[in-house]
Amino acid sequence: MAAVADLPDDVARVALDLPLRANLSALDNIALIPLYQRHYGAVESTQQAQAMLDQLGHADIALLRDPDMTPAQRFVTKLARAIILKRPRLVIDRPGAMLYDVPYPAFIRQLAAQAEMTGTWEIFDFSWNQALYQE
Amino acid sequence: MNKLHFKVGLFTAASLLLAGVFLVYLLHARGFFEDTFHLQLAAASADGVAPGVPVVFSGIEIGRVTTLGMNEEGGIIIHTEFLGRNAKWLKENSTFTLDKPIVGGARIRVDSPDLYAPALPDNSTMLLLTSDISKEIPLLVERVKAILDNVEHLTRKDGEINATLANVQTVTGRMTGEYGMLESLLGSPEKARAVTDSLDKTRALITNLDGLALKMDGMAAKTDQWLFAQDGVAEQTRESLAQVRLMLNDAQSSLKKADALMTNAVEISADVKEGTQDIAKLRAEIDDAVRKASALVNEINKKWPFARDPEVKLP
Amino acid sequence: MNFLATSIESLGAKVVGWFTVGYGMFTFLAKAGLLLLDRTTWNRATFDVVVKQVYFTAVQILHVFLGYTLVISWLIITIILSTARDFGLTEFASEMTIRVLVLELLPFLTALFIALRSGSAINTEVALMQVNNELDALAHCKVPPMQFEFLPRLIGGVVSVVTLAGLAGLLALLMGYLTIYGMSTAGFGPYTQTIAKIFDFKIMVGLIVKCALFGLAVTLIPVTAGLETPKKLFMVPVSVLRGMMRVFFAIVAIEVVSLALKYI
Repeated sequence: MAAVADLPDDVARVALDLPLRANLSALDNIALIPLYQRHYGAVESTQQAQAMLDQLGHADIALLRDPDMTPAQRFVTKLARAIILKRPRLVIDRPGAMLYDVPYPAFIRQLAAQAEMTGTWEIFDFSWNQALYQE
Repeated sequence: MNKLHFKVGLFTAASLLLAGVFLVYLLHARGFFEDTFHLQLAAASADGVAPGVPVVFSGIEIGRVTTLGMNEEGGIIIHTEFLGRNAKWLKENSTFTLDKPIVGGARIRVDSPDLYAPALPDNSTMLLLTSDISKEIPLLVERVKAILDNVEHLTRKDGEINATLANVQTVTGRMTGEYGMLESLLGSPEKARAVTDSLDKTRALITNLDGLALKMDGMAAKTDQWLFAQDGVAEQTRESLAQVRLMLNDAQSSLKKADALMTNAVEISADVKEGTQDIAKLRAEIDDAVRKASALVNEINKKWPFARDPEVKLP
Repeated sequence: MNFLATSIESLGAKVVGWFTVGYGMFTFLAKAGLLLLDRTTWNRATFDVVVKQVYFTAVQILHVFLGYTLVISWLIITIILSTARDFGLTEFASEMTIRVLVLELLPFLTALFIALRSGSAINTEVALMQVNNELDALAHCKVPPMQFEFLPRLIGGVVSVVTLAGLAGLLALLMGYLTIYGMSTAGFGPYTQTIAKIFDFKIMVGLIVKCALFGLAVTLIPVTAGLETPKKLFMVPVSVLRGMMRVFFAIVAIEVVSLALKYI
């Protein structure tokens, strides 16, 4: 598992051990990246973050903070944060640990369809869960 | 409208406003918006004066010492600074006194007896007086002691007055003797001078005592503003000073009598018959004066709380 | 012999520990300072976070703080005045009041107030961020937490302590006037004179610098203490405990040094 954590810098990870900033709303958590990495203005960054949430079909969670979200909502926020990093690879590390309240392979597939993202999504999961990904 | 931002904005604006108002007030208080008035004080010694020593008028600080300097003659020039609004208390007849109270720091006191007097021009120089009471009383005691020594010296067995009186006796004896007139005429130049000398000394003594009494009066007045406790040490001191003054007056009148008697003594040479009686009287009077004066020194040493030991030389 | 060696070793370990803590704090401060010079720091977002921090550190507690200042000032002024009256030193009372309250006691109490309220909160929050991996997550996103988490707290702390100490000082000056002279304008002249005498340029600058250092101490030390926390939840209270001890020592040290500079 350490192999996933040691992936190079050009990989955006969605993982249990990379939590959201607890005292910021979902929107602010996503907006941090354009704001402080690309030095967009506050309004512009928030718009980008909101657009990202809209794209994933979860515009309604924008103002929720981490403790108020369901696991699925939390996952969506983390995913949005990973996508907005605009790195060529996106790795989802053991989604079962984060999405324990939904049938997650289907959920991820649905999100992937909405995201219209370039590049690849990779899912690392335990081998005994492989059956879940078969349709 | 963002309520949080509004509150922070309100807080910041109010704080900045208050800070600004305080800054302006402080600048006003420190005289940033007005002219400063300068005054030089000439003093014999800079003892106890340092930059920052306040200049007070009626107990309120109106200025302070900025720098100290010396002039060519070795005198001290104290530069003081006043705010323009306080300069009106400085008049041409104002007096400046250096106060060194027992409690608290030194300060320069301004007394303006006549507030309608013409104002002091900027950059003028005034004299700084000292009213260092703790220093003056031991000095006073010393001076009284010196006077007593003088009196003692004059009146001791082989002292000048005795000698003079003896002379006078001899002179008068000679004059009443067989060769009276001739001897008297022969011896008179030196002997007459001796008589007048000792008379002069007695007179000087009396003037001294006069001055002393005046000084005591002045000191009693000065202690008034120095006193702040109803029955503190200072109050007792003032009482003792008043007593000292009374006693000095006493001694002074005795010595005046002596003076009158001495004047008589001169006339003795003319009036031989009454001479011997008067001289005896004179001795008694001078003894009395000496006794009173030594009692006075005892009293001063006893009452003045800072005298180190009560050692007094008695005649 | 063995006992001596172990005690010397433990002393050495302590000294090394102090140096490590001090070094960590100064490098952190240097980083924050460098970031302050960076033009990209000064954007709307940072400003918003600073505003939020000032709100939580100063505005939220303003009424409580001013009430507490009012009571403390009134008490101290009354004590000084009656003591001065007993000893016949009333002429020094107003100066003493201002020196004791405005220059020393109120800044010190303000710093303690902020340290107890905001300093401990900051320490806990940073320690929890550290333990919960939130800082690692930010590092993964290549978003440096300094700019939006730590620097605004430092600025907020400095601004809050300086402003609150200033407001408390002004309130104490007003209280002092009212207690000494009552509701009349008669004492305005002498009081102004006393204020002018005390607040010269050096004293004003010293007061502001002291308050700024207090503000820095009550935020910088908790942040660095929080960052040192090992990634174990039960270490959070330990981290807060250590941080608050250091804050207390730092506040006392700043006060002592300022007094020494002023009066020695």
